[in-house]
Amino acid sequence: MNIPTGLDPGIAPTRAGAMWFLHLRNELWKLFGKKRTYIGFGMFLLAQNVMLLLFRFTRWQEQVERLLEGNGYLAQEFISALTVAVIMLIPQVVLLMPLYTTLVGGDMVAKEAEDGTLRMILSRPVSRYRLLLVKWVAGALFALLLVLVLGATALLCARIWFPWKGMFVFAPGQAFAVLPAGEGLARYILAHAFMAVNATTMFSLAFMFSCFNMKPAAATILALSYLFVNLVLEAIPFFDRFEVWLLPHHFRCWLRVFDSPIPWPEVLQSQAVLLGANLTALIIGAAAFHTRDIKS
Amino acid sequence: MIELRNVRKVFGSRVAVENLTLTVPRGAIFGLLGHNGAGKSTAIGMMLGQVWPTAGEVRLCGYDVTTHRAPALRRVGAIFETPAFYDYLSGWRNLQILSTYSAPTPASRIREVLDWVGLSGREHSPVRTYSHGMRTRLALAQALLPQPELLILDEPGDGLDPEGTAELRQTIRRLHRELGLTILLSSHLLPEVEQLCTRIAVLREGRLVFEGSIEETRRRTHWVRLRVNDFPRAVAGLRAAGWIHTARDDGRVALCDGIETDQITRWLVERGFAVFEIAREADSLENFYLALMNDARGS
Repeated sequence: MNIPTGLDPGIAPTRAGAMWFLHLRNELWKLFGKKRTYIGFGMFLLAQNVMLLLFRFTRWQEQVERLLEGNGYLAQEFISALTVAVIMLIPQVVLLMPLYTTLVGGDMVAKEAEDGTLRMILSRPVSRYRLLLVKWVAGALFALLLVLVLGATALLCARIWFPWKGMFVFAPGQAFAVLPAGEGLARYILAHAFMAVNATTMFSLAFMFSCFNMKPAAATILALSYLFVNLVLEAIPFFDRFEVWLLPHHFRCWLRVFDSPIPWPEVLQSQAVLLGANLTALIIGAAAFHTRDIKS
Repeated sequence: MIELRNVRKVFGSRVAVENLTLTVPRGAIFGLLGHNGAGKSTAIGMMLGQVWPTAGEVRLCGYDVTTHRAPALRRVGAIFETPAFYDYLSGWRNLQILSTYSAPTPASRIREVLDWVGLSGREHSPVRTYSHGMRTRLALAQALLPQPELLILDEPGDGLDPEGTAELRQTIRRLHRELGLTILLSSHLLPEVEQLCTRIAVLREGRLVFEGSIEETRRRTHWVRLRVNDFPRAVAGLRAAGWIHTARDDGRVALCDGIETDQITRWLVERGFAVFEIAREADSLENFYLALMNDARGS
């Protein structure tokens, strides 16, 4: 039997960029090899179908029709796949998205530390910053994919039951819009770009906690707690003047893209705040991860 | 190959390692011994750049691990007490993932290493289906992939059955003989260390209490099995008289330098003790280690 003698000299150290992509590929293999990664996708699909059934077979549809007719619109023109898809998205974005993005974010570093695989990786000549950045990018790709699947399945499932017509968006105190189908679809797609930023921010929060020396569940719960405290504070009238400091206020900018015209300054301001929150979480997480001791 | 100079590590208010200076020469099989919590894993963590030293310097292959992590660890492989893998992925995928943190590795190299550790044929099964022995072999495979010059083994025999332990011992010998690796072996299995290592270091409560060759440990302590009618009183008397320096609850005493069993026997008989048995124990690392721990406890 031959004794292994070493690396093939033909592929010994290649460009740093190629290594970076190999490391990203590793993280994606790890992430999408786990069954729990798919819980979010499955639950979104389930929730959408339950909502569709409710919409179809309860008085919910009548209420929407009354609301439209009360505002002078022909209800039959706007009870459509696009309208139903957006109606389904609102509760999922508020309730389910934080759950599944923080679940993955909380696992990202803390689970590896808990299982001992982080120790295996860090006995190799890879920098902690690079490892963390690659993990964050993999998590951000997961968040993006989750949002894309959420949007696509909501629209496809809604299309099975409802016709392709104009779009009506109504969220009390946040949005009221009536759009033709083509423009509605374009806005629907644009809204997902902003929803992806929301999902990434939620993921980043949990990821930041995950970088500290704590259990994965603790990181997830801390991130969820932070988000829910923000949500509660925002609901208290006293905090109205502080709403720009609260993340949920900025998360809702995806609904603003249905306004006509789109209030770009406000939307971009919210995006800047969310990107800043992502960067802050990443920097704090990186600092904590770099300084901590990794022990069995 | 490994150099620790005045290394100290403090976790909160607990000192895990205190003023540790240690050198592992190239080509050695070096044993690191100590009780649980003695600081072995912390010392290994500092060698691998996983634990930051509070003070002192840790160098691997000539590079400071803290400031030059990449070159210091480029030719280092490590195995830990409980081999941890991504259980839901195959052995092959695990090796692909772990190897790329050192350098891109071709499939032919992975196949070669899998052959060497005897895992061929099972490489595409999920790791969760592997036995403990197979996981240990997979851990060895991942450590060998970057063509290491130095192998750090932290309690690699933990949980292995006697057959697995013997197999691991043979593998370590083979790695040293055929690949010329320098090996640092941290273990509780003193007979294994005795059979494999050329030098050892013993840690107790974070401090180095011994560093030297296995030969030195054999010269150091002469254990005598002593059975008398009143062992505690005999020990107290012998200790006071300066004949022995250590005694164990299992009826063993360690003689002071220059003392022989006939002197002990005469002393005991003259003082009215009934001596049923007195015999020199075969010198072993275990006896040396236990004496060292007793000494340290006494001081």
